[in-house]
Amino acid sequence: MASGSGSGSERWSEDLETEVAMAMGTTDVELLKRAWRNEKAAPEILQFEAALVLRAREQIQLLEETVEEFTENGVDDLVVSLYQMDLDRSLFLLRSYLRIRLQKIEKYMIHISKTNLWNRLSEQEQRFAKSRCTDIMEKHLEQSVLSRLPYGYQSILKQSISSEEDDMVPEPQLDTFVFCKTKHAVGAFQLDDTGDEIVDLVADDLYVLRYKSIRGLVESGRIDLV
Amino acid sequence: MAGQSNPDLSVFSAPEVEFLAEDEMVEIVPNIRMEALNMICGDFGPFFPQIASKVPLWLAVALKKRGKCTIRTPEWMSVERLTQVLEAERESSREFQPLPFHYVEISRLLFDHAHDDIPDLYMVRSLIEDIRDVRFHKVETGLETISGRTHAVKLKNLSAMEVNIVRPFMVRALQAFYRHDSPQMIQQPRTMGGSRPQAVDRGPRRDLRPR
Amino acid sequence: MYGRRASQLLRELACSETGQLTAFNSDAFDQVIKECNEHNLQLQSLIRKIEDENLDIQTTRNEDHFGAVIHHLSLIRNKRCLMAYMYNRAETIQSLRWKVGPVLPQEIQEKLNYSEEECFKNHSAAIQSYMSELDLDLTVDMVPPKDPYIRVRVLDDIGEVCLGDHSISLTKHSLHFLRRTDAEPFISQGMMEEFLE
Repeated sequence: MASGSGSGSERWSEDLETEVAMAMGTTDVELLKRAWRNEKAAPEILQFEAALVLRAREQIQLLEETVEEFTENGVDDLVVSLYQMDLDRSLFLLRSYLRIRLQKIEKYMIHISKTNLWNRLSEQEQRFAKSRCTDIMEKHLEQSVLSRLPYGYQSILKQSISSEEDDMVPEPQLDTFVFCKTKHAVGAFQLDDTGDEIVDLVADDLYVLRYKSIRGLVESGRIDLV
Repeated sequence: MAGQSNPDLSVFSAPEVEFLAEDEMVEIVPNIRMEALNMICGDFGPFFPQIASKVPLWLAVALKKRGKCTIRTPEWMSVERLTQVLEAERESSREFQPLPFHYVEISRLLFDHAHDDIPDLYMVRSLIEDIRDVRFHKVETGLETISGRTHAVKLKNLSAMEVNIVRPFMVRALQAFYRHDSPQMIQQPRTMGGSRPQAVDRGPRRDLRPR
Repeated sequence: MYGRRASQLLRELACSETGQLTAFNSDAFDQVIKECNEHNLQLQSLIRKIEDENLDIQTTRNEDHFGAVIHHLSLIRNKRCLMAYMYNRAETIQSLRWKVGPVLPQEIQEKLNYSEEECFKNHSAAIQSYMSELDLDLTVDMVPPKDPYIRVRVLDDIGEVCLGDHSISLTKHSLHFLRRTDAEPFISQGMMEEFLE
């Protein structure tokens, strides 16, 4: 699988963080689980975890081969079935992670393709979004609604010709509230633009906060959505 | 877009919460010899009869189902500890006692698959049920305190299942308060379902131009 | 009242349970389209009237102007409702790919209009190509795994089926100990169920 896109420095720091996590005994499954939870709970699409997905797939493939070998060599059924369960659990996380992303792409494809969220998709996801999903949906709406409306009202992006900006594109609701937990203390954190609302994020405590105000912490991995 | 339905507010299904709980570590006492398991999710064993070993709950349950081990009941699941927790839960109307994030699922999985390994099973089960009830009641009454100025809610020691239960209501309530509280609300009434001010509010003047 | 019929389309959506599909309401849909075109005719004739009276179209605030605005806004509202109706239905239809597979049962297909059927097929194909690029089937493992083997009860006469390297006979009411991944397609099509003691 080809690696996804991501700007150099971002990727570097992510890899570095991954290495630190590995050194501390965090397995890739643990990281995948975190990515899965965050992706499930976040209203918008997050950065594709290209390196992590690649490693997880390698480990899965390796174990698949091992399980096959075990079966051929008549290794104890019990041992084989335990490894199979480990394999199944990892595969579920991987598949579910990729599925949630597809569903988000389907839902917000036009918005994603217009913004820098586009860079968060893997190459395959980009192909899925652009040349397939968007085209299909555009054609569908075109032939069933838009082509039958009067001139001036036929845009898929704008309500009418007089709209100054694209005001018909479904967007994720960043205003929504999410449940989150911090691994380490983040300290005093500003929740709104005006600075009126400050919350002290203590390690391991559970908070309900507006996604928009903590999206930076989610992206940098300092807070986990649950 | 008009009429766009609410985003799905139940983030994790009950089986998914259970899946997460199954990764919690427990102690087993095997009755067989088995080499170390080098798994994707970690390395466990080697296993020797009567020597305790730590494994994830799903692995413990799988071995238990196949008759290969007993599961040691976690320390927090003793009658003594649970009695203390229940008392403390009852005493404080606002605070939650520290319990494992997945205490509901862990105890249920153990009741289902390892009930013969739990000392005072009947007592433990009823204590956990009582604790759950007291806490759920607290969660409900806690929701009444959400108000318009709420930008953050701290839920110390709330468990995974409890989070799942309050999530839909809590998110909807906070969102509603947040919207009604925002200054935009007064200047630009929002149309149904729209997440931003819509074109309806602007520019009809410019529409009246000849084609 | 302007816009009422369009809002009924949305009410229909709101009343059905998430993931459930009602038959495409082509009568109401076509009528709303017709309304849109009528609004446009009215709008254009009002504009012409203002122009014919040699009034400045940008600044005039007479009854014709406000009439035109109402037609414009009603048209936009109708459009938003039509788009929301189609878009939300399309979302439900696309989600069926994960729930029922690439071929829709007759009773669901009857609820779709032509464009929706086409959309479903194309979308299925899009997911298929994504999965083959990835070399990973995403249509299995829809729920968290338990044991790799499950006991299932067959609900339909499925007949001889080849699973992996051996074939088994799936007759109605029979019980089997199958690999979960083998059983899931049958379960999602309602031809099998997990057997719990």
